[in-house]
Amino acid sequence: MRVKAVLQSNAALLCAVAIVQFGLFEAGLRLKGGTEAAPEFQRLFMADPALGYRLKPGATARFKTAEFDTSIAINTAGLRDREIGPKAPGERRLIVLGDSLVMAVQVPLRDTLTAQLERLLNADAVPPATFRVINAGVQGYGPVEEYLFYRDVAAALQPDIVILALYAGNDAVEAAGTGHRLQEHRPGGPANESLSLVDRFTQWRRRVIRRSMVLQVVRLRVSTVLYRFNWRQPEVDLPLRAYLPEAPPEIARGLDVMTEAVSRLDALTRSQGAQLVVLLLPARFQVDDEDFQRLRDMVARLGETLERDRATERFKSALEKLGVPVIDVLPSLRHAARRADVFMRSTAHFTPSGHETIARALQQYLVDHAVFERER
Amino acid sequence: MVFNSLQFIAFFLLVLGFYRVLPHRGQNVLLLVASYAFYASWDWRFLGLLVVCTAVAHVCARLLGRFGDGRARTLVLMLGVGTHLALLGFFKYFDFFGDTLRTLLGLAGWQLDSFTLKVLLPVGVSFYTFVAIGYVIDVYRRHTDPCEDLVDVAVFIGFFATLLAGPIERASSLLRQIRSPRSPTSGQAAEGAWLILWGCFKKMFVADNLARVVAGIYGADAAPGGLAIALATVAFAFQIYGDFSGYSDIARGICKLLGIELVVNFRFPYFVRTPQEFWTHWHISLSEWLRDYLFLPLGYAFSRRLDGVRWLGQRDDFWIYAASTMATMLLAGLWHGAAWTFVLWGAYQGGLLVVFRFLALRRRKKRRPPTSGWMFEWRHAPAVLVMFVLTCYGWLVFRADSWAQAVQFTSRLFTAFDPSWAVVRAGGLPLLLYAGPLLAVHTAEARRGSLETVQGFPRLARYSIYAALVYAIVLFGEFEGSDFLYFQF
Repeated sequence: MRVKAVLQSNAALLCAVAIVQFGLFEAGLRLKGGTEAAPEFQRLFMADPALGYRLKPGATARFKTAEFDTSIAINTAGLRDREIGPKAPGERRLIVLGDSLVMAVQVPLRDTLTAQLERLLNADAVPPATFRVINAGVQGYGPVEEYLFYRDVAAALQPDIVILALYAGNDAVEAAGTGHRLQEHRPGGPANESLSLVDRFTQWRRRVIRRSMVLQVVRLRVSTVLYRFNWRQPEVDLPLRAYLPEAPPEIARGLDVMTEAVSRLDALTRSQGAQLVVLLLPARFQVDDEDFQRLRDMVARLGETLERDRATERFKSALEKLGVPVIDVLPSLRHAARRADVFMRSTAHFTPSGHETIARALQQYLVDHAVFERER
Repeated sequence: MVFNSLQFIAFFLLVLGFYRVLPHRGQNVLLLVASYAFYASWDWRFLGLLVVCTAVAHVCARLLGRFGDGRARTLVLMLGVGTHLALLGFFKYFDFFGDTLRTLLGLAGWQLDSFTLKVLLPVGVSFYTFVAIGYVIDVYRRHTDPCEDLVDVAVFIGFFATLLAGPIERASSLLRQIRSPRSPTSGQAAEGAWLILWGCFKKMFVADNLARVVAGIYGADAAPGGLAIALATVAFAFQIYGDFSGYSDIARGICKLLGIELVVNFRFPYFVRTPQEFWTHWHISLSEWLRDYLFLPLGYAFSRRLDGVRWLGQRDDFWIYAASTMATMLLAGLWHGAAWTFVLWGAYQGGLLVVFRFLALRRRKKRRPPTSGWMFEWRHAPAVLVMFVLTCYGWLVFRADSWAQAVQFTSRLFTAFDPSWAVVRAGGLPLLLYAGPLLAVHTAEARRGSLETVQGFPRLARYSIYAALVYAIVLFGEFEGSDFLYFQF
């Protein structure tokens, strides 16, 4: 009995010490910064009743890692962009909706695809026409939040063209987890019943891990160890399932939700006299051969096959039914990657060169398809 | 399969599971099978070499046990020791001496196109051949009885915990334990768990992180400044200590879980004041092996040649010590690797030992009688610091890729120090971060002169250290599973 009491007391003390030190290490790592969980970065965001969160107007932060050092400023409209005044005569406005790939905290504002596209369009503009390309990307958003963000915030900016950047890498998964928001716009609405308990737990675990720097490192260590020693992971990582030959049910559901969100966005932009264009962005491994090799081997060990462009094809096929123009920048990025790095080394985001490639592809599309002529 | 890998953890848990339920004889058979499987996981082709070493040592020891005094015993001893030295010499040094001979002949104008065989170096060969030689000599000297059981001898020489990087165990300690029934106690399990955790911390947090700092300077294309070299060399001092002593700690820890006690191999070597103390605190099992099987016989041989000489005001005993020490340390340097930088490092260490012996003889009248147990005292800090600087210079020579780099780095220490905040930040900050916690724990231990200091702390302090070590390993440790440095020796 006494031995049991001593063991319990020791275990309790060890747990208490471990919890206190977890807090200390978490605080230390956050103070050191360098990841999105750092308070310096988190203060860019504020709560939003419909979207969960959005960018905080007027917030600023410096995001510094071993690979980049960026100053980020949010304008009064809650966008990572310059201030946006009233629409001038002759001004053509483009809004680019998207997630972290569009917001692009890894590069200075002038190097983002929106700023580069604006420069390219204005270089060829015939006065008095001018172009204003607005960055409406928000870290962590999926297609559903992007639609809601446009409806509640960006629509007021009177765009002529709305470009929705969809990320083939994880937007099906993101959409699957947020489909309920299309029905329930209130915070705390019912959870998505269509997801299995395991998937909901997985998404909850991902959210928790994203919020803790200690847990992010632990997750990385576990992945490294499992990968290095060829130990089987229980299943293919959720976003990678969009690249399997047979789409699992949660991916199919996610594509349905994504299609629904795009359809609503299309209807809304049409009703405002604007035009919607979808920009399809690939995952890094679709461009980086080494990355693909690694992930393909990892998935193969789980008895599955990773098809490099399967998710892109799925997105295209799903969007085809809507009749919305789709710009696939994968070929351009693959071509550009032969000359320069288009993806960051440490993250799945684009380098300035990658942003430039996408901006040029967009400009080419807009010119080739005479989008502004039609719009006029 | 390195100790800090998941494969080894799975392997060891499997061995431990069976070990706990088997009787003594079964335990030894299990350890033999596990040890050979462990060695084969590196390269099965060298298993034959290990078997030959074991067989030679076993046969020689049994013959030595049967023969009385006389010429036959000496012949068997020479056969045993000579065979092991020949194996070690061939596998470790053939190409080295072949290259050296070719270079020398080339200087004399004779071209020798092919003299090397590209012999592969079997991992751990320096360690298990020394264990085998020690066993044969101990039986010859009648310090230990020959073991009749081949399985026990095979476990003693090829034991997976000590096979690759020691400690270099003696028959009087490890073989005796292998021959006796063992049942691990809960105290041993707790000590073992602590040693494994502490060893992993030394290897994955201290050594592997500092390795990057060291490689950045020693592998740089452009010649670095003196300050950068100095910081990288201090980082290397902690890297090699963390790496090797970490391995020894893990080895001791897993042996404790099996109910086996290995010798302590490191005892705060950077808290000592003299080279003599250093070599009784650094790689202790090798130092003692060299002392018993090389230094003392050499001393005996030199005493017959140098008896009665008096040079430079020093008596024969000093010169016997100097000659034996230099010969021993040159060979010790060569044992560490087939490269002339290691020989130079051995010469440097030998020189330090001789110089400090000379100084000690001159101050003998002023010396205080030794205290009962060794422990670090703050008043010794200046002497400890001087000794640490001297040791670090030895590590510069040891770590250098070539003689030319050793000379160049030495020169830049004095002619191009180039101090700057950027250099301090790049080299000093990681040093502080990764070596600081190790140094803090070792200071507390050295102050008490005991390696069991942490276990004696109050529960809260102890648990705080345990948790902090786990967090440090997980959050900042190197998880790419790099090999231990001493495997190459």
